[in-house]
Amino acid sequence: MIDFSLTDEQKQLQQLARDFARNEIIPIATEYDQKEELPWQVVEKAHEVGLLNTSVPEHAGGLGLSMIDEVIIGEELAYGCMGIYTILMASELGITPVVVGGTEEQHKRFLAPLLDKPSLAAFALSEPNNGSDAAAMNTTAVLDGDEWVINGTKMWISNGGVAEITVVFATVDKSLGHRGTVAIVVPKDAPGQSYNKIRHKLGQRASLTSELVFEDVRVPKENILGGIGDGFKIAMKTLDKTRIPVAAGSVGIARRALDESLRYARERAAFGRPISEFQAIQFKLAEMSMGVETGRLMALKAAWLVDQGLPHSAESAIAKAYCSEMAFDASNEAIQVHGGYGYVGEYPVEKLLRDVKLNQIYEGTNEIQRVVIARQLLKK
Amino acid sequence: MKILTLIRQVPDAEARVRVTNGAVDLEGATLVMDGMDEYGVEQALRLREGGADAEIVALAVGPRRNEDALRTALAMGADRAVHVETDAVLDPISLSKVVARIAQTEGIDLVLVGGQQADWDSQALGAATAERLGWPQLTWTNGLQVQDGALTGRHDVDEGNETFTATLPAVVTTQQGLNEPRYPTLPNIMKAKKKELRKDTLDQYGVTPLVRVVGAEIQARARMNRVIDGKDPQAAAAQLLELLRNEAKVIA
Repeated sequence: MIDFSLTDEQKQLQQLARDFARNEIIPIATEYDQKEELPWQVVEKAHEVGLLNTSVPEHAGGLGLSMIDEVIIGEELAYGCMGIYTILMASELGITPVVVGGTEEQHKRFLAPLLDKPSLAAFALSEPNNGSDAAAMNTTAVLDGDEWVINGTKMWISNGGVAEITVVFATVDKSLGHRGTVAIVVPKDAPGQSYNKIRHKLGQRASLTSELVFEDVRVPKENILGGIGDGFKIAMKTLDKTRIPVAAGSVGIARRALDESLRYARERAAFGRPISEFQAIQFKLAEMSMGVETGRLMALKAAWLVDQGLPHSAESAIAKAYCSEMAFDASNEAIQVHGGYGYVGEYPVEKLLRDVKLNQIYEGTNEIQRVVIARQLLKK
Repeated sequence: MKILTLIRQVPDAEARVRVTNGAVDLEGATLVMDGMDEYGVEQALRLREGGADAEIVALAVGPRRNEDALRTALAMGADRAVHVETDAVLDPISLSKVVARIAQTEGIDLVLVGGQQADWDSQALGAATAERLGWPQLTWTNGLQVQDGALTGRHDVDEGNETFTATLPAVVTTQQGLNEPRYPTLPNIMKAKKKELRKDTLDQYGVTPLVRVVGAEIQARARMNRVIDGKDPQAAAAQLLELLRNEAKVIA
């Protein structure tokens, strides 16, 4: 049974996300990229129309959107601006460990309040001295009576410092390796937290990326997701899913690169005709289109596996690495099609390249994706 | 009260259309609810939110794909939808027969319809429907309320703007400026699935097109690609003025 059609409902949410990108994101994307500022009004508007925190399960009052739905929405929003989409995507990333590792009671306790007002969640795994080697974390969690006491520093945290809840990964005993890791939900108002905004990023500058510092931060014992030793597992299960929206966002960037290139190539004349009549340009356009189409299929396939409850680790890694590299190439070629104009901010294509670079790095570098894929191959 | 809001589906403003065998070919084009009709749906919702105890029925007459536009209306908040499914292209006078019949059988108090359509600029549908029903019609409204079973509002006329009152039932045509249509929110998109979408056939209304389109051409607009050199701002401004005055003839 293979069917490539969208349901009526999916067509509707695609249209909503497309209109949202066109009306709320594209007009302000350049400004917030330049200002290096998170456009909070977009978060408010996304909350209003229901595009924020869509993975909160139905039993916690959310929509519990499927991964396929998230992929459809993600492509449209990232078409507008990958940096702004990252704000929303990173919130889903903060929600996912609660969904995969928490109890129904915890879903209700932590996730339902996120729907009441415009609110973000965050996911805090990487540290200043370790990223890909996630199990080697240095942030500590010590149980003191009825409370966890958290100390340490987390790095590259999207929405860090403004999120209502942050899932913090820590170790109870470093000598235990990943068997000593825990995932703990830390509310924004728990004292002892501070954050430093990371400035001068290459791209995705409308999304807030922070260093988070935890000094004797105390949260109730009941804020642990799963048990001791489950932290690393929850983080990996989360990333297996949330890499798929990164793939979808990449497809959106590539489609934007293609559309901008098509428009420019039709308008720009050289040697007495539009440059779209030259094969050198046509091949670039064709290449971009091949990437968009194949990338979208892979993102949808990985999402479909998630929705069917089937193993999806290798497929989500393939989708993420493939789509982010494909979109990098598409953005790079879009600049080439635009020539000198592509190199300056007057046209949106230089921003596409700056933004998409991060898609090759976050939620597991593309090298780690290849490790995941190879491991699956060699397991058989 | 019952409000009937008519939905047409047109190519997205950014869509590229082409002509194949003398007819506009919409294959592959993104189709959306006509902006003018969106004002109608939005106004119906606002009348209800303003206190009118209203049931809102969305109506489309056209091919199967019109369902998408009806679902959008349901997701915006309409209560139910009627789709008269047909591949026949109806001229406004024929279409008005269907609209009027449904207005009667459904016991409608207020018909809202776009002042014109993005793809068929006749502006006749509202008027023809009102004529068939013998109801008052208010065209080009940019303000509309319901009070004690009567309509009040504002609309544009050639000389300017009038305020009016009218008795119900009535036909009202919309225009830009009436309101700012809302997004169909995600939760409402999910809920819309459960709302009724009734399917009728054109045969039930005994309507056949009176006008047949035998050919179509697309008006292409080409840029002149003329650039005024701005190195000397005063000379550039003078040149621009001269072009606007004598060539484009848009200023005196």
